[in-house]
Amino acid sequence: MSLLEVKNVTKRFGGLTAVNAVDMHVEQGEIIGVIGPNGAGKTTLFNCIAGAFPPTNGSIRFNGQELAGKKPYQICRVGVTRTFQVVKPFASKTVLYNTVVGAFAKTNQLHEAEQRALKILRELDLYDKKDVLSRSLTLPERKRLELARALATEPQLLLLDEVMAGLRPSEVSEMLPTIRKINESGVTIIIVEHIMQAIMNLSDRIYVINFGKKIAEGDPSKVVADPEVIKAYLGDEYVAAQH
Amino acid sequence: MHLLRKQNPLHLLITAAILALMFLLPVVIRSSTLILIFTLIIWSAYLTSCWNFVGGFAGVLPLGHSAFVGIGAYTSTVLFQTWGLSPWWGMLAGGVLAALVGVIIGIPTLKMRGAYFALATIAIGEGLRVLVENVKQVGPFNINGPSGLLIQLSKSSFAHFQFVSKVPYYYIILVMLLLVLLLTYLMMNSKIGYYLAAGGEEPEAAQALGIKVSRYKLIAMAISCFLTALGGTFYAQMMLYFYPKSIFGLDLSYEIAFIALIGGRGSILGPVLGAMLLKPVSELTRIYLGDTLPGMHLVIFGLVLIVVMRYQPKGLIVPARRLFDRLFNKPGEPEDKGPKTAIAASEAD
Repeated sequence: MSLLEVKNVTKRFGGLTAVNAVDMHVEQGEIIGVIGPNGAGKTTLFNCIAGAFPPTNGSIRFNGQELAGKKPYQICRVGVTRTFQVVKPFASKTVLYNTVVGAFAKTNQLHEAEQRALKILRELDLYDKKDVLSRSLTLPERKRLELARALATEPQLLLLDEVMAGLRPSEVSEMLPTIRKINESGVTIIIVEHIMQAIMNLSDRIYVINFGKKIAEGDPSKVVADPEVIKAYLGDEYVAAQH
Repeated sequence: MHLLRKQNPLHLLITAAILALMFLLPVVIRSSTLILIFTLIIWSAYLTSCWNFVGGFAGVLPLGHSAFVGIGAYTSTVLFQTWGLSPWWGMLAGGVLAALVGVIIGIPTLKMRGAYFALATIAIGEGLRVLVENVKQVGPFNINGPSGLLIQLSKSSFAHFQFVSKVPYYYIILVMLLLVLLLTYLMMNSKIGYYLAAGGEEPEAAQALGIKVSRYKLIAMAISCFLTALGGTFYAQMMLYFYPKSIFGLDLSYEIAFIALIGGRGSILGPVLGAMLLKPVSELTRIYLGDTLPGMHLVIFGLVLIVVMRYQPKGLIVPARRLFDRLFNKPGEPEDKGPKTAIAASEAD
């Protein structure tokens, strides 16, 4: 059984079909990339899995348990935690406070939650910033905090929504080993990303979505050679010119 | 207990000195008017601290909290008048009733944000006042409409919650305030406190971290309403007479919110500081301008609020804390560690 099984998921907003009958499966320990042009429906699919809005149709099973229709806080409690593309730190609180909020998902004791939070901050190189208010962090640090907070809930599956968007190339290359380290500690990851360098580098498998439909899936090197994918990104004429 | 050990010994000493001073106050001051004013200041600090559980930590602005003061006062009084139940039990009953009402009001309203929640609480508070003013009898209980209730004098005893001297009232409300402050401190350093702060600030992110935001806001509302109602019973027993406008009125609701905003909501000592600064103003204007300019204190509070919000949007507790640090912490010395730092830093920015 796959860790996450997405079957025939459709999401409509009024007359607009944002996600159209998408199938997807994620195995324990994988890093899965989801790519596609702007407005392709990646984030909508992502939001359906995370419970931000329920899918119109289809089923999403995590460890055999149906997630469709569950609320975000329930989905977090079964072991699926997300980050936000537009980071949402608790701005008036410190980095440690933010992370402790996440760690409370698995304990009721402040002392224990703090110990767990500090351990994660150390792993993500945020320990020195633990007493800094999160509103005064730089963007890369905020993205890291977003990760730390999500990790503190000890998820089995981590959903990363463009954690690298807005970062400079040097900052992206700092982020890559962090994400790989998280994966090696046993956390399965789905990552929605625009930055191809990052996604090619990290993913075991890639799903490509365009106009709400899955147009390709598989090995990163195969997927980028797929004419459908090139067409989606670069247009019909580019494909025609190559022949 | 490890929370205590983390404190700077100098801070503990100062706290102990302030506490001793407060407990000795009635021994030093003999004027019963002054004692009454001090009692009312502490009562105000108590109510504002209760309000703080919702208004300070859950990220909403309740403007109808006098409803729960009223529920407390009326419940204990009618139970005493009708069945002779000790006001102490009546106090508990009022608290439970207020918590229930608070949860019922909270279920639909706590989902609203910003001004909408504030408006809903004003409407409910005022609605309740008009209702009480127009009803004479509820079941076996006589609530006497707009004329209010007069509590029969009985002997001065703890069991009856009635004392000839004002001093016992002073001590009772002082202990109540200290307990509420302790409760606030414990809550801020617990899962509930963290979850409330998170849900108040970024509800979407909080949900994604496994927090059922509405549930924690309701818990805060229930605690706040329960404690507020105890303050209502206290007021009734001290004054021995109250009427809907005196206890259910909007001006009491506003006064509580003004004190919290000016003192600094979401902090432990902000409400106390606010009450210490503002309650004397409201009592003095009531004494000297009560006949000519009733309600003058709210005008003054409003002006002060505008100035404070302009220059210290987090309340006067922020400069007060800075002053305290300058006086008692050596420069460059880091503040105490642990959960306190998170709180201190969040307030002091």
